[in-house]
Amino acid sequence: MTETTIRAALAGAVADVLESMFFREAPAEIREVTPEEDTVTIHLKSDGDPPGCFRMSLAQAAANAIAADFLGEDAESITVQESTDVTLELGNMICGAVLSRIESSATFRLGAPRVLTDEIEEAAAGESMRYTVETGSGPMTVAIQMETRTCPQTEKYAY
Amino acid sequence: MAYRVLITDDSPAMRSFVRRVIELSGFELSACFEAGDGAQALEVLKNEWVDAILTDINMPGVDGEELLRRLAADELLRGIPAIVISTDATQNRIERLLALGARGYVTKPFRPEALRAELERTLGVPCD
Repeated sequence: MTETTIRAALAGAVADVLESMFFREAPAEIREVTPEEDTVTIHLKSDGDPPGCFRMSLAQAAANAIAADFLGEDAESITVQESTDVTLELGNMICGAVLSRIESSATFRLGAPRVLTDEIEEAAAGESMRYTVETGSGPMTVAIQMETRTCPQTEKYAY
Repeated sequence: MAYRVLITDDSPAMRSFVRRVIELSGFELSACFEAGDGAQALEVLKNEWVDAILTDINMPGVDGEELLRRLAADELLRGIPAIVISTDATQNRIERLLALGARGYVTKPFRPEALRAELERTLGVPCD
């Protein structure tokens, strides 16, 4: 599997999910990302061939705006719980869409997505293929790592 | 004609989204029930008749595969068409779930019209 294949899968999955389920235009890729202070990061693990880890980080403002689009509500009325639920679902769908593109003939199983709160745990995730877009409310970065050794253990089958 | 559907998904956000896009797509609902997993879905079905079940697969407790098995094993419930909504678009998985009794399969992400089309196909509703 080449870097180009994985990158194309990440880009296609992000565009497809945001357009279909969040009623947004395909976002533009950005190469240089200014770190946001208020960011939410989620992680999930997949069993498959090969197994891997998926991470997604986005500005909290972007998470709220995306949750509002998904639920058909105003961004101001979105609760923390709703924003978190939708962000986890967004990560789940993007990861599933990526794996369906690169493992279409195999069977994979996604772990439960969860919010990462530990900086050490985030750092331990290691090097991975990244793709960043501007959502209009802040940047969103998705990353996938197609190996298991550095992935934290996660509960399976819960999402 | 309006239909009664049951949406089974452990994500409240996803249940809310599915209900909204069914309504947005113009598919007429007379009742919409929700369940957080397969066990809750079976509880709902003890008291309510539905025309179709929309179910996620990866759920804690009784997951979507087990729900399909239990529906198939129940004389009263096996006639209710179940449509799987899942992020997993791999052919192996789709074939496995259809073999377990699912009548339809919608892969996330999906567009509202795709969900409506699958509901109509499964229920045998004539196209507009």
